[in-house]
Amino acid sequence: MRILPRFMLAKIAFRSFFLQSSWNYRGMMNMGFLYAISPGLDRLHEPGPAREAAYLRHLEYFNTNPYFSSIVMGVTLALEERLSHGEITEDIIHDTKEGLMTACAAIGDGLFWDSWRPFVAAAALTFAFGNYLLTPLIFLVLYNLPHLYFRFFGIYWGYREGTHIIRSLRRFQFPQIRQSLRYGTIVLLAYLIPNHVNVHTPFLLTNLPLEYFYFGEKVVQGIGALLLVALGTMAYRARIDVLLISFLLMVFALVLCHWGILI
Amino acid sequence: MPEHLTASLLIALIGGIVDLDSTATWQFMISQPIVAAPLTGLFLGNMFGEAAVGLKLGLMVGTILQLMWIEQLPLGMNVPPDAALASVLSVALGFIAGRGYESYSEREVCYTVALLLAVALGLLGRSLDMFVRRLNTSIDTWVCQKVEDNQLWAIAFGHTMGGVFTFTKAFIFCFLVVWLGVEPLKYFTSTLSFKHASGFIVVQGLLPVVGFSVLASMCVKDRQEMRWLIGGIIIFTLLPAKIWLGIGVALLVLYRSGWRRSVK
Repeated sequence: MRILPRFMLAKIAFRSFFLQSSWNYRGMMNMGFLYAISPGLDRLHEPGPAREAAYLRHLEYFNTNPYFSSIVMGVTLALEERLSHGEITEDIIHDTKEGLMTACAAIGDGLFWDSWRPFVAAAALTFAFGNYLLTPLIFLVLYNLPHLYFRFFGIYWGYREGTHIIRSLRRFQFPQIRQSLRYGTIVLLAYLIPNHVNVHTPFLLTNLPLEYFYFGEKVVQGIGALLLVALGTMAYRARIDVLLISFLLMVFALVLCHWGILI
Repeated sequence: MPEHLTASLLIALIGGIVDLDSTATWQFMISQPIVAAPLTGLFLGNMFGEAAVGLKLGLMVGTILQLMWIEQLPLGMNVPPDAALASVLSVALGFIAGRGYESYSEREVCYTVALLLAVALGLLGRSLDMFVRRLNTSIDTWVCQKVEDNQLWAIAFGHTMGGVFTFTKAFIFCFLVVWLGVEPLKYFTSTLSFKHASGFIVVQGLLPVVGFSVLASMCVKDRQEMRWLIGGIIIFTLLPAKIWLGIGVALLVLYRSGWRRSVK
């Protein structure tokens, strides 16, 4: 018989939105985690030493992907419930939480930060370069669909399935999803690079017949953009800071403009 | 209330809310430049009766900053430059200072200088963020002591204080930058000669290169994929772009459906 009602789990999922409010160098998300699950702990443990011990238990170090945090919260509450029935010991909660937060951090960071966000950003940029005014809205809606899905369903799965949750997460096939998103981003990038880097030179105007001007302009822009991006990529892979690359690019543009090569 | 003071307060409020989203709360990604900058432009433009101009400026700034800091993420101990505050301040400074200019080129230069200035402010924002995290560490120690004394209310209090610190930091920072920064920016822009000015417009057109380079580094893993990217760039250069974007998306869908079949 499950003790925590659905409404309370929804409340905990809502509180998980504030997970990182008190992010700190000692326990990272520890206070946020405890704040989120505290209604559940209050329901599971009677006031007194048991509740105090539960609070202290969850004040220890905690760090995971914020979107997957509700899964860890659900599993932790399922285990706390078993502890309150005397079925398990505190060590099991500690070890499971530690293992799960690491797994969820790896899956969530890889999926959201490394794949989904760049893909959605690249998709939104294709609209933004066209001055499409609803771009921010498109970005927000697209980005938050999986975010909210994992936030709200994660806590129910975690609470219902307990430690079996890892098996359930496997059916999503995250590596394949990540690879597809990466390919999608490459397609968008191939479209964005030649069309939205502005490389214009006055030589075409003076040397090229007018009927070939448009085509010549596109070719120069495409080749120029490709060369600049190739140089930028090499610099970035050589671990040169993005801001330094930007500064060098700025100097390069100002010098070429001063010499009349770029307009 | 003077117009400039009202605008500074509005930007401070937007900065505070947007900065909360970047790590402290929600993480809906309102704090991403592609959202934060147009949002600021819209509110500010609405205040001055030029909503469309503000929104377009926001989109331009948001696009460039989104690309520049696309790989910067608050993972673990890593504190990235504050892209949210940089976006808000770039639009605010550019819009308010740019209103004083009549010509298109002067306004564009003002926007670009504000953008470059905001990048530096984003780095300063990172230092402030680290300061707030150190404050939170002190709160954490205090909360642990209280919980050991069975004063469980300290959790909600300490946790809320973290959010309050983040908001206050961003609010004061944005207010001061907008309140004090517009006049120096106007002065600097007016000292630039036409030759320099057009150079800044060229810079604006080239800045997406940085973001594209970062994105390419993140996505392209081997030589085969590099060849595909270069091939794609050549195709999109030579032929009408939108048709090929459609074909690219269709190929991706086909690939995905093929993968699903192989899974089944």
